[in-house]
Amino acid sequence: MSTLKLTSDVLKLDLPSVENRIKRFVKDYVEKCGADGVVLGASGGLDSSATAALASLSLGGHKVLGIAMPEEETYDVTDIQHAKLLAKKFDFNLQIVDISSTLKACFQSLPIYDVADKLSKGNVKARIRMVYLYYYANKLNRLVCGASDKSEIMVGYFTKWGDGAADISPIMDLYKTQVRQLALHIGVPAEIVAKPPSPRLWPNQLAEKELGIKYETLDLILFGLEHFMKSKEIAEQLKLPIKLVEDVKRRWLVTEHKRRLPLTTKLGYRTIGKDFRLPHKPY
Amino acid sequence: MPEKVNVALAQISCKVGDKKHNINVMKNNIKRAKEKGANLVIFPELSLTGYLNRDLAYELAEPIPGSSIYSLEETAKKENIYIVFGMPEQSEKAHAVLYNTAVLLGPDGLIGKYRKMHLPTHSVFEEKRYFRLGYEAPVFETEIGKMGLTICYDMFFPEISRLLRLKGSQLIVCISASPAVRSRFFEVFTAARALENTVFLAYVNLVGVENGLQFWGGSRIIAPDGSILAKANYDEEDLVIGTIDYADLERAEAFVPTLRDLRPELFNSLREQAEKL
Repeated sequence: MSTLKLTSDVLKLDLPSVENRIKRFVKDYVEKCGADGVVLGASGGLDSSATAALASLSLGGHKVLGIAMPEEETYDVTDIQHAKLLAKKFDFNLQIVDISSTLKACFQSLPIYDVADKLSKGNVKARIRMVYLYYYANKLNRLVCGASDKSEIMVGYFTKWGDGAADISPIMDLYKTQVRQLALHIGVPAEIVAKPPSPRLWPNQLAEKELGIKYETLDLILFGLEHFMKSKEIAEQLKLPIKLVEDVKRRWLVTEHKRRLPLTTKLGYRTIGKDFRLPHKPY
Repeated sequence: MPEKVNVALAQISCKVGDKKHNINVMKNNIKRAKEKGANLVIFPELSLTGYLNRDLAYELAEPIPGSSIYSLEETAKKENIYIVFGMPEQSEKAHAVLYNTAVLLGPDGLIGKYRKMHLPTHSVFEEKRYFRLGYEAPVFETEIGKMGLTICYDMFFPEISRLLRLKGSQLIVCISASPAVRSRFFEVFTAARALENTVFLAYVNLVGVENGLQFWGGSRIIAPDGSILAKANYDEEDLVIGTIDYADLERAEAFVPTLRDLRPELFNSLREQAEKL
């Protein structure tokens, strides 16, 4: 039996150190790229708020542009208020861009559009938001800063090439419950941290309800998997049905395609995504 | 040979793949170290090229001696100083055979080199993909003492430091490119290697960010009694100098006589068991 005990203690962070490392990482990469700052989706939720706050603390608010992209189907006035509250507190610029008309035009032009298929439809929303962010990034010589956390990336709870698309993802090595700790530490308002997470792809969508598990539990399962623990041991330690742990593990394994470059078959001497191994930013 | 030697820990960050830039940074640090009275200046692992070169290693590697060595030799001669730095070395016999090498230069030019014996290939490390293992652990007899070189992950293995000590090293140099999550290991291992061998140990780590990895610095000189004689800042470039006094070796050896108490008959057993692991 492992000496690693899966309690909330294992997810505790050395918060000042983590804050500094993320700030250093963001500043270093933006400078190496010669970019004038970052743009990010400012949804008013936990992850995007923590990311925007960290980016502002790292680069200065004048180099951070938050874009809130509401659309009528999932519009929530509280989200906009939270985005504004955060922008004011961390002194970064915020633009509100309603994407409803773009979405409508997109859906209307799709010959096979199916209004009842909420997943396909919801993913379009995430990808349209990505298109907007990259327009701003190109236009303003900035990088797109993603806000995905480790919990969601590991179980594939994100839209491929949608919210998962970014140039850097500063909090991607922190589980959701760790992002909560860090967010409070750096001064993200508690009401934002306490909000139930939602990707806002359709009305009343709640992440924990959809995933069928609380983040406190999910994070411990994922932490165990990260540390090479067997499903049986994780289930025993957390007093969970083995099926629940196996389901999480399965979700993690089958979504690896979302975390990689597109798969190709090897034909050449060195192949992209396989054995072309280059430094991320050599010069 | 002087009893006391001033050792400069040049904790720099490197531009990946940009040898010209990195040589300039090294030369600048050598000059500053000399002005502060250093006899020896030490740079991190693969300081010529940066650490995470990946496939660029094939085009960045040079034979020893090669153009970068010639350039730094000039500085060593001009400043009358000893230099240790790291570089990807290309075999003269087979161009795709590379080594992760530490080079020792002195006022008269190239003195020698050490090829890393323990190549990490786990977690974020992929050194065996690019480098061949080294097979020798030489000790260099210089005007500033008998010196052995090691590189980074070598610190995890007590055998190599012990071998260098048994071959007469007074100072073990360890050049490193250690990311932050491993700092606690090196803090322990560097002290342990110095104490268990009653030897001076100078550890110089990289700083900066490469491919999302943050190198933590924390370079240090450890005395044979485990005390820290000089220590560089964490996470930022630094240049610190510490003085080592070889007279301290005798006192440390008498106080905790680990070399006297060695049990060589255990070594055969160690080998047998390790082969059966």
